[in-house]
Amino acid sequence: MSWIWSIVLLLVVTLLPRVGLLSLYRDWRSAKDREQLEDALKHLLDREGQGRHASPESLAGTLNLPRVKVTRIIADMESQGLLETRGAQLHLTTEGTRWAMHIVRAHRLWERYLVDEARMPLSRIHEEAQKREHSFTEAQLNELDAALGHPTRDPHGDPIPTREGVMPSLESMPITAWQGESPARIVHIEDEPAIAYEQILAAGLRLGQVIRIIERTPQRVVLSDGETEYRLAPTVAANVSVAPLPESETAKASAISLADLTHDQQAEIVMLDDAVQGFTRRRFLDLGLTPGTLIYPELGNFFNDPRAYRVRGTLIALRKDQAAQIWVRPV
Amino acid sequence: MTEQTLNPNDVLAKAEALRNNLSSGFRDEIVKSLYSEAETIAKRAVKAAKEKKYDLDQKIDRLVTSPIVGLPIMLVLLGIIIWLTVSGANVFSSAIANVLFGIGDWGRALFESAGFIPWWITGFIWDGVYLGLAWVISVMLPPMAIFFPAFTFLEDLGYLPRVAFNLDWLFKKAGAHGKQSLTMAMGFGCNAAGVVATRVIDSPRERLIAILTNNFVPCNGRFPTLIMLATVFVAATFPPALTSFIAAGTVVGVVLIGVAFTFLMSWILSRTVLKGEASAFTLELPPYRRPNVTRILYTSIIDRTIFVLWRAMQTAAPAGAVIWILANIHMGDTNLARAIADWLNPFGLLLGLDGVILLAYIIAIPANEIVVPTMMMVYMGAGMMIDGPGTSTGIYNLLVNGNGWTMLTAVNLMLFALLHNPCATTIITIYKETKSYKWAAVSVLITLGTAFLVTFLTASFARLMGWA
Repeated sequence: MSWIWSIVLLLVVTLLPRVGLLSLYRDWRSAKDREQLEDALKHLLDREGQGRHASPESLAGTLNLPRVKVTRIIADMESQGLLETRGAQLHLTTEGTRWAMHIVRAHRLWERYLVDEARMPLSRIHEEAQKREHSFTEAQLNELDAALGHPTRDPHGDPIPTREGVMPSLESMPITAWQGESPARIVHIEDEPAIAYEQILAAGLRLGQVIRIIERTPQRVVLSDGETEYRLAPTVAANVSVAPLPESETAKASAISLADLTHDQQAEIVMLDDAVQGFTRRRFLDLGLTPGTLIYPELGNFFNDPRAYRVRGTLIALRKDQAAQIWVRPV
Repeated sequence: MTEQTLNPNDVLAKAEALRNNLSSGFRDEIVKSLYSEAETIAKRAVKAAKEKKYDLDQKIDRLVTSPIVGLPIMLVLLGIIIWLTVSGANVFSSAIANVLFGIGDWGRALFESAGFIPWWITGFIWDGVYLGLAWVISVMLPPMAIFFPAFTFLEDLGYLPRVAFNLDWLFKKAGAHGKQSLTMAMGFGCNAAGVVATRVIDSPRERLIAILTNNFVPCNGRFPTLIMLATVFVAATFPPALTSFIAAGTVVGVVLIGVAFTFLMSWILSRTVLKGEASAFTLELPPYRRPNVTRILYTSIIDRTIFVLWRAMQTAAPAGAVIWILANIHMGDTNLARAIADWLNPFGLLLGLDGVILLAYIIAIPANEIVVPTMMMVYMGAGMMIDGPGTSTGIYNLLVNGNGWTMLTAVNLMLFALLHNPCATTIITIYKETKSYKWAAVSVLITLGTAFLVTFLTASFARLMGWA
C-alpha cells in the first residue's frame, strides 16, 4: 500500500498549482526567457547607439547562446513586434526601443543607487544591476529616479534615459582619439569587456579624473594626472572616454585635496569632488562642509587617519579617503 | 480679468521642464545658502566668547589621542570601570539576594502552611518561576546599576567619540566603522543595549557587522561566570589581598580575547557575506563638558538598566519554570536534568567541557545570569537553583574532586562563555533592529560555530600535548 501513497505524494509535490515543482520550474523558465529577451533588446539598442546594426551572429556572441536558440529568440521577438529583420540586419521597432530603453534606464538607475546610497564598490555594481534590471516596473523606476534626485549619468558616466525613453546625447570620445596636449576629463569607462574594465580600475583611473596624454605609440598609451603616470595598452585605453574640461575644473586646478593639507594650515573649501554623490555628499553638506567654508586640520591619531578638522567651530573627524574628496585652497 | 486656476499637474509638468535647466551643483548651492543664512542669524543673535575657548579642549585632546598615552588611558579606564562593576556589584548582589530569597522563603512557608496547596505548585511557583526572577534581578541589577552610569558619565563627558577616533584605523582595516568601538563598550553593559546602540552607525553594511559581532564582548550577565572561574582557578594561587585585582585582570584578559575575535569576525564578514569597502566615515568630536548628573542617572537607570532588566525578566521567569521542571521530574533515581546532562556529556567532553555545562547553557538561553546556579544545582543534585558552596575552596572541591574538572574545563568554559550564542533578549533585539530572521539566525550561527570550533581546538591541542 505504501508505494501508492508514495506515488500520490510525489504527484502532489510535482503537480500542485503555484507551489508545485512543475509550476516552479515553469516560472523559473519564463523568467529566464524574459531575461534573455531583454538582454537581446539591450544588445540591439547598444549596436544602434554605435551606428551599427545587430546580426544574429553578434547576438549569439553577446548572449553566449547557440545559433539555434538565438534564431528562436529572434522569431519570438519578431512575433511580439519588437524587431524587424532586414536581410542579416536586426532593427528595433518603436515598441522594441521603448522596452530596451526601460531596461537600460533600470540598469543605470540601479547602479546609481548602489553607489550613492548602498555605497557598494564600483567593481561590483555592474553584476548586481545585471541581475536586478529585469525586475522593475515603470512606476518603480520613476520613484527611484525621483528619490535619487533625477541623476543624468550612471556611475560609469553613461547617460541615463529619461522617463520619456530618450537617451541624452553625450559629447565624448575615446581617449585614443583625443588630440593635443590639453587636459581632458574622464567621462566614461566602458564596463564591458570585464577584463579591460578591471585593468583600467586596477591602473587607478577613475571617473571624473582629469588627465593628459603624455605618450602615444602603437604599443602603449601613457596618461598622467600630474602626479601618477598610467600605462595602458591602446585597445584597453579605447574603453576610456574623455570630454573637454567643464568650467568647474579650472577651479579645481588651483586646489589641493583636504587630505594633503598640512597640520594647522587654514584653507577654504573650493568644492566637493563630483565622484561624491548621494548619501556621502548629503552627509558632508549636513556637516557644513560647503564651498567657501574655512577649515583646518587640528588633531591626528597614531596614523593620521582619521584626522579631525576644525570647521565652523566644531571638530569633525574624516578618514583620509573622505578628505581626499574635498578640494580646498590654502589661505 | 480672468481668474487663472492652477492645475497641480501643470505645476508638476512645469517643474519637470525647468529641472532640466538646473546646473549639477544646485543642491550644494541650496545648502550653502542655508548655512550663510543661519550664520547671519547667529551673528546677530549670539555673542561669541573669545577664540581661546578651545585651548583646554585641545590640550586634553592631544593627550587622549596621543600615540604614547592614548591607548593606555583607554585600557586603564576600561579596567577601572570593570573593576568598579565587579567589586561593587558583589556587595549589592548579596544584599539584594538576601532580601529576595527571604521573600521566597516566606512565600513558600505561606503556601505550605495553607495546607491544601500541592507541593508541586508551591515548588513550581516559588522554587521555579520566582527563584529564576529573583536570581536574574540580584545578579543583573547591581552590575548594570554601576556600569551604565559609569559608561554614561564618559559618554556625557565627550570622551567616547575620542575612543572611536583613536581606534578607527583598526576598524578600517577590518572593514568596519570606528563607532563600532562605542557599541562594543555598550556591550559590556548588555549586548542587547549594544545592538540598539549600533543605530549611531549610519551605513547599513558597517552597522550589520557591528550587530553581528557585538556578542563577542562579554556582558554583565556573563561576568559572574568569568569572575567565578577567575577567582577559583586563577586568583586562588595568589595572596588573598590581591584576589579582586587578579580576578579583574583575568576578566580584562578574557575581554581582550573577545575584542580580538570581534576584529577577526568583522574582517571575515567584510570579505565574505558583507563584502564591501569601508565607506563614508564622519565623526563629530564634541567639546568636553561638565557631565550632568541628573541626566546621567536618568539615561543610565531608566533608559538602559530598567529597559534591559525588564526584557530579561520576561525571559527569566519561564526559564526558572523549565529549570524547576527538569530538576523535579525523576526517571528512576536521577532527575531529568541529570539524565539530559549525561546524554550531552560525550559532546561536552569533546569540547573540553561537560554535559552539565552544555545543559546549563541550553537552559540559560533566556539569560546568561543563571548559568552558574543551574550548573551548581545539577552538580549538587538539588531540586532548584543554588549558590553552591560558599567559599572558593568549596567550589574548587565540588568541581575538581567531585565532578572531574581540570584547568582545561575552566579555560574552555571561559572561552565558551565569551564566544557562545547571544541570549534570547539579544537575539530578539537583533531581529527587531534588522527586521530579518535571517540576520538573527546568522548571529547565532557564527557565534555558536566560533565557540564550538575554538573550544574543540583548544581541547584537542591540550590533549595532544598531554596537558589534560
